[in-house]
Amino acid sequence: MTLENVLLVSAVLFAIGLYGVLSRRNAVTVLMSLELMFNGVVVAAVAFSRFTPVAGLVDGAGPVTTQGLRLALTGQVFAVFIIAVAAAEVALGLALVLALFRHRQSVEVTEAATMRN
Amino acid sequence: MNLFEVSGSTTAAFWAASALAIGAAVMVVTVKNVFRASIFLAFSFIGVAGLYFVLSAEFIGIVQILVYVGAVSVLVAFAVMLVRDVSGGNRSIGKPVVALVIAALVGASLIFVAYETSWQRIDDIANADAVAGLAGTYVGSDAPGLPSGESIVSAAGADALGAQRGVFADTTGVIGTLLIKDFLLAFEIIGMVLTAALIGALAIMRERRTT
Repeated sequence: MTLENVLLVSAVLFAIGLYGVLSRRNAVTVLMSLELMFNGVVVAAVAFSRFTPVAGLVDGAGPVTTQGLRLALTGQVFAVFIIAVAAAEVALGLALVLALFRHRQSVEVTEAATMRN
Repeated sequence: MNLFEVSGSTTAAFWAASALAIGAAVMVVTVKNVFRASIFLAFSFIGVAGLYFVLSAEFIGIVQILVYVGAVSVLVAFAVMLVRDVSGGNRSIGKPVVALVIAALVGASLIFVAYETSWQRIDDIANADAVAGLAGTYVGSDAPGLPSGESIVSAAGADALGAQRGVFADTTGVIGTLLIKDFLLAFEIIGMVLTAALIGALAIMRERRTT
């Protein structure tokens, strides 16, 4: 497991999500694919956090400074923020999908080209 | 133990979690039944949570399980059942090959960048001065905003717990301190975003019901 391997998994997840967003008609599946893309990005952030070269941890010699630990864990703070934004996005997106369904009796994104009544 | 040396069992766990995450993700975008797609989505989230645990990010792994597996999956399954468009409703657009080509190109370029960038040269900054320079402070002194003598974790504790196992010690506490100190503004803004999104979701639903 190297940084490159983790980034490979992250890129594959992102690409699968992108394919789903571009190719699916059902708006709910588009939102699911969007979540897959978010997950790929978070995996990349956590991987960079894991492989940040912190003085003291890289060679196992220690001591780990507070600044070094802060620097390394900033990637995980980014992950927390991305997860929070994704949670807000999926709540809003599913509300829009349900509103669309009530309005048109369909959740196909190809039929939702207009927002007017 | 070097931070970047990973044991064989950890590598095996990493590839197992990756296989679960990617395999379930492929099923999400290919399976016909939308409800089954939402179940595979939950499995993909579990695989990604396993990846976080392997990457020694326990807090993010727990958050992943709580937020994604617990809340988002249920919300998606709820929406799937509400729109009553379950079986055979997951058709693709007219030309899925175009989408496949675009996704493959984006993925290939990302993988190319991941493998072509010489991260090893970045490893050269692994000395205290360079890290302190990136962090904006020097190791010997405190950050400008911090009261004198304050530190998040004691260097001795981090040494005893972290360096021996080659992983970080007490990540959750440091993440919490980072959230309410260094990233306080972003933390408040994300709270506003979540509140606004939920109120907006309620408003959208209610408007359609009254008209």
